[in-house]
Amino acid sequence: MVAILNTHNNQISASGSTAELEKIREFVGAQALLFGFQEVDAFQIALAVDEACSNLIRHSYHNDNNRQFVVKIEQNNGELIIQVMDNGDSFNPMSVPEPDMEEYFKKFKRGGLGVQIMRKVMDKIEYLPAQTSTALNILSLTKRLA
Amino acid sequence: MNESKFTIEHHSIGDIKCLKIQGYLDAHTAPQLESAIGNLVQEGKHKIIVNFSELDYISSAGLGVFMVYIEDVRELGGDIKLSEMKPKVFTVFDLLGFPMLFEIVENNHAAIAKFSN
Repeated sequence: MVAILNTHNNQISASGSTAELEKIREFVGAQALLFGFQEVDAFQIALAVDEACSNLIRHSYHNDNNRQFVVKIEQNNGELIIQVMDNGDSFNPMSVPEPDMEEYFKKFKRGGLGVQIMRKVMDKIEYLPAQTSTALNILSLTKRLA
Repeated sequence: MNESKFTIEHHSIGDIKCLKIQGYLDAHTAPQLESAIGNLVQEGKHKIIVNFSELDYISSAGLGVFMVYIEDVRELGGDIKLSEMKPKVFTVFDLLGFPMLFEIVENNHAAIAKFSN
């Protein structure tokens, strides 16, 4: 069953600090459960959003907690769409090549796995860079309810 | 600032060091675990068990901590064995194929037995 999300309470803002990740996961996980996902799916959707936000906080906002971004949740025909909206430098995470995990482990590589988790968990990932200096970059993570 | 919900308990079992981790292991808390394992490695302790029985969450930042030290401890004849993982936490390891590289066992007894072998 697909629940109707509360459209007045479908977004949160967060600062550029990793201390914010816990509240983001709680928000996304609760919304995913409300939408009808099983617990393990809601857990993994929250994980994918955590990875997106962790990358944003570290690489774009440089852990500056004076900067803000927004996580917004929408639904469309049985799809849950989570949008991460920021005003940092544009960077499309999908431009990161997929790692060969056998090679990764053989060479004891480090880092770069967040985007791979996002790919594994979500059905669709889209990135819309800000078109003007006052606009926001929008990363959309979509998961279909099976 | 609120402290995140992550703690580490240290135990020794002979020459094996056990870190029992609790709470959430994410980009915010991973440096705590990296520092704890790094201290053990610096002290020459290279047989390490990380007990996950009370860990409720891990992200790639947490997975990355194990990648930092696994090569070093194995070169010294040791290992980092991971025990008592909750199913939802195991799914994160499994998503990326981490069971290919890490020994993930049912409990600390099994991990100790693996070190004895």
